[in-house]
Amino acid sequence: MAHPLAERKPYLLLLVLLTFNLGLISSRIRSAGQRSILEEAILSLASPFLKAASWVGHGVSGTWTEYVDLRGVQRENRRLGEKIDALALKAQEAEEERQELQRLRDLLDLRDSVPWTTLTARVIARGVDGSARIVTVDRGSHDGVRLNQPVLTPRGIVGRIIEAAPGTSKVQTILDPNSGAAGLIQRTRVQGMIVGEGERTCRMEYVSDLSNVEVGDVIVTSGLDQIYPKGYTIGVVESIGEGEGLTKLVEIRPEVDFRRLEEVLVVLKTEGPPEKSAR
Amino acid sequence: MKIVRGVVTLGAAALAQSLLSHYGPALAGYCDLFTIVVVYYGLTCPPTAAMMMGTAAGLVEDSLLHSILGMNGFTKTLISYLVGSIGSLFMLNQTIPRFGILFAATVLDRLAELGLSVAMGRSLDFPGTLAILQHGLGNGVLGLLFFWVAARLP
Repeated sequence: MAHPLAERKPYLLLLVLLTFNLGLISSRIRSAGQRSILEEAILSLASPFLKAASWVGHGVSGTWTEYVDLRGVQRENRRLGEKIDALALKAQEAEEERQELQRLRDLLDLRDSVPWTTLTARVIARGVDGSARIVTVDRGSHDGVRLNQPVLTPRGIVGRIIEAAPGTSKVQTILDPNSGAAGLIQRTRVQGMIVGEGERTCRMEYVSDLSNVEVGDVIVTSGLDQIYPKGYTIGVVESIGEGEGLTKLVEIRPEVDFRRLEEVLVVLKTEGPPEKSAR
Repeated sequence: MKIVRGVVTLGAAALAQSLLSHYGPALAGYCDLFTIVVVYYGLTCPPTAAMMMGTAAGLVEDSLLHSILGMNGFTKTLISYLVGSIGSLFMLNQTIPRFGILFAATVLDRLAELGLSVAMGRSLDFPGTLAILQHGLGNGVLGLLFFWVAARLP
């Protein structure tokens, strides 16, 4: 036979719990807005779950927001990438135009400074091996270009016309081993013959062993060859060696960068006042 | 072990209810996970454990809802006792009877809460019969899902 109290245990517990809850309610109403110690304790117990809920909620929300943002960012990134590509192309074009403008300005300054009739020309072809011994320009006999006319740039002489077709001309540069130009050392006025060495340098021949030449000396045209006007820069002395007999072999680095040659000035007439007919 | 399981279940219910009220407030109006837990314990545990769980669940719900502490504690203790009593009299391990007890417990919980509010002299905030019935239906469906999941847990 069960103990009478054990049989009534659920009822008693129910009574206790209901009373307990009613007590809580009445105390809560009496305290009018202030939290009781029990409530604080329950809240403390529940707070880890609340924090966990908040953490999970923020995590889910954050992940979702980041995912949505990421999709937007990806689209934006693609759009900006295309914009950057377009702008880079424009910047490149602008830089190219700026450089061309600068070169043309320099050429214009040179044209205005020389007392001859000149014609600007654009280099349209080089040697098939990429060398700059012979270059082709876009001006020909129809523009007044003739054989042996000198070709210049603001930095110095380029060469001479060796062939003039109606629309184009060939220029033999001073790098060509078959070329020749009369030059002199600006500082000491020592004269010699400038001959091309093919790739990027020239040499000055017939320079006396006794003459005063130093590395860094500027070589200019002497005008004795009747082709190049006097006083135009050819290059600077790079090294000095022993030549044949009682001569020195003077290595010259041309001032003109033949690998980047784009616009040149063809001197049509070396007599008379400068004319403005040239382009 | 049973106490730990009860605490974990209560914590999970609190977590789920918080998430639901945050991300689906409209849906949260149709379900009261604490009532489902109370019904589950009322049907599967001895009366004392069920009532203890009812009080605990009610007090946690009061804390979460910032309502008067003891209000839900009172109603859920009562619900757990009634469910336990009915469960000892009838076979409630089939889907429809379970749905019925879940529905009835939810509706009774709401009505008891309203009655207690009136008894305390507070203004009656009656949500409407339809809302209470919808609440009961929602809880019934969700409760069945809860029972199905709980039956497959180790």
